[in-house]
Amino acid sequence: MSILINSSTRVLVQGITGFQGRMDTEFSLAYGTKIVCGVTPGRAGEIVHGVPTFNTVRAAIGRHPADASILYVPAPALRDAALEAMEAGIKLLVATTENVPRHDASLIVAEAQKRGVKIVGFNTNGIITPGECKLAGIGGDKPERIYWPGRIGVCSRSGGMSAEISWTLKKAGLGVSTCVSMGGDPITGLMMADYLRLFEADPETDAMVVFGEPGSGHEQGVANAVASGEIRKPVFALIAGVFQENYPRGVSFGHVAAMIADEADTATAKRKMLAKAGVTVVSGLDELAASVRQIMQAPAAMRKA
Amino acid sequence: MIRLTEEKTKAWLAARGLPVPKGAVANTPDEAAAVVDRFGGGVIKALVATGRRGKAGAVKVVANAAEAKPAAASVLAVQIGEHSVERLYVESKVSIDKEFYLAFAFDGRSPSVVASINGGVDIEEVHRQSPESIIHRPIDSVTGIRFWEALDLWQSAKAPNENLASLAKITVELWQAFRGADALTLELNPLAVTVDKKVSLVGAMMGIDDNALFRQPQWQAESGEQTIGGRKQTRGELTVAEANRTLPGGAVRYTELEGNIGLLVGGGGASLLVHDMILARGGKPANHTDSSPGPITEKLKVMLREILTRPNMAGLLIAYNHLQMARCDVKIEALADALRKTGVDPRKFPIVVRLAGPAEARARELAAEFPGIQYLDDDASLDDAVRLIVEKAGKGGLREASA
Repeated sequence: MSILINSSTRVLVQGITGFQGRMDTEFSLAYGTKIVCGVTPGRAGEIVHGVPTFNTVRAAIGRHPADASILYVPAPALRDAALEAMEAGIKLLVATTENVPRHDASLIVAEAQKRGVKIVGFNTNGIITPGECKLAGIGGDKPERIYWPGRIGVCSRSGGMSAEISWTLKKAGLGVSTCVSMGGDPITGLMMADYLRLFEADPETDAMVVFGEPGSGHEQGVANAVASGEIRKPVFALIAGVFQENYPRGVSFGHVAAMIADEADTATAKRKMLAKAGVTVVSGLDELAASVRQIMQAPAAMRKA
Repeated sequence: MIRLTEEKTKAWLAARGLPVPKGAVANTPDEAAAVVDRFGGGVIKALVATGRRGKAGAVKVVANAAEAKPAAASVLAVQIGEHSVERLYVESKVSIDKEFYLAFAFDGRSPSVVASINGGVDIEEVHRQSPESIIHRPIDSVTGIRFWEALDLWQSAKAPNENLASLAKITVELWQAFRGADALTLELNPLAVTVDKKVSLVGAMMGIDDNALFRQPQWQAESGEQTIGGRKQTRGELTVAEANRTLPGGAVRYTELEGNIGLLVGGGGASLLVHDMILARGGKPANHTDSSPGPITEKLKVMLREILTRPNMAGLLIAYNHLQMARCDVKIEALADALRKTGVDPRKFPIVVRLAGPAEARARELAAEFPGIQYLDDDASLDDAVRLIVEKAGKGGLREASA
């Protein structure tokens, strides 16, 4: 098992005829991902690495039903593309687009919540269940170089760090159940704690690693879920960006942001909050590998804190 | 975020038919006096994109042109934080009956609205003294804030019955302006009701989402001048920013710091981690960098030249997370170019490289042309790279640049 995707996931690619869409489609097909159809308005009839292209999502999945859609759509067109996919009934969207206008991101997420749609991203590098399926750029053309099948769930705010963490685990003789690059934009669909809940429910995940950065309330959600006992499997956290606290902050505008901004926004505050909740907080990758190995070598009964 | 000055915010609101006092920009006390004369009295304010102007003495009420000149001169002499006052905004005076506070901003994933009947004063002070008087509500992005929700908001804020309807109406209109402008913040303080019971947007500040400039081109010009942590950009930062604007490809960001270890690190997350680890080991970064996907060799050349030619450098670390799509060789291509142009000799100036992923073999070949570059083995971690550069830089590997 795994979370969100597996070897039977059928995938639609919105923006399949673009440079990134084409390249990731090629690599993903080679990895075994079932990409069944693509959409680019005005390009119906084109075949991309064997995958048929349609003008609309409805037309595409009418012929080739799909469970998930990857969006390689530039920011100005993202809102409509995401709403179109939701309207057509797709329940998992992987939105690679970065720097999405805040009002659009907010609208897409609000719509997804009303419809029970899961959104990975914005600004995600993708999801991979090693050996089974990968969506979007994650792993590039040689995912096995970095992502090894195993029993650790990984969720990272940074696409690059999902690779670095998974490679570190592989080097330590461990593997990954599913690795999610959850997206680095200020607004994301699924929150970090949502992924941990999915990992908690996945019988083939034994422990989880998260990578966080300053800003956003993701770690607060994780701390709450761990402290409340909702998450019982071991959680390891690497939170980067402490150095920012050594330098003067950008001057804030007006008073609104200062007043309603979460005070737990700095990396140091996040590390403290997570440690207090029962998360194992590490400060580097070598330390991460050693800590995870130690827990994974313990008998299963002792893994619960 | 692009912080608009008051006259830009108010011009935008006025263009949407919203009630703002009439006003004009003045550059000198004489110009200010002329406007005050035309308006028959007025308010002279510093035209800077920041709040707290009243406290700083940068807002003066004057009755006539004679009073206007010295008042304008005193406002022009004020310094608010790092803002010096270069221009003035002169506004006709509004006869205010009541002052309210209203703001829109993003709170996590949803927009939110903040309302209070204690307007016209520092809202942070209100928050300290009577937090319960500030009402803070999320807004559903799909529906926006609707008239009856706005009524409920102001009722919860204990606004008087006689003002409820007009406050609710203007709140809905301001939400539409907030969304229409792709604003990240819109603060009205005070949101005034005049003695003749009309709403007037006496204080208005707005911040725009730079990511929405593709459909808000009217504010492109405001996005130029940037400061970093309250200081002006350095010459090196401006050079890199210029390269970033004019050369094609992915975006690069470059911030100069006080230390002596140059960094070319990425992507977003790994660059933060590497920086943290250097500080934790006692090293001092001379800069921070970040880049977004896309071909960036030309931009990296410019950035590396800036890093290598800064004074008192003790080493350079090029460290990325295991790359998945981006190529290793383009970073070394840029390094080779910068080394040739600056004459920096890696045998005397420590350079540590940790790059793994696509086109790694070619990157190693290119690096091998420069004896002294320490390109770490394939199983080296980011921790290893950090340990090595801090150790080498700590030994005072001073650079002898000939360029």
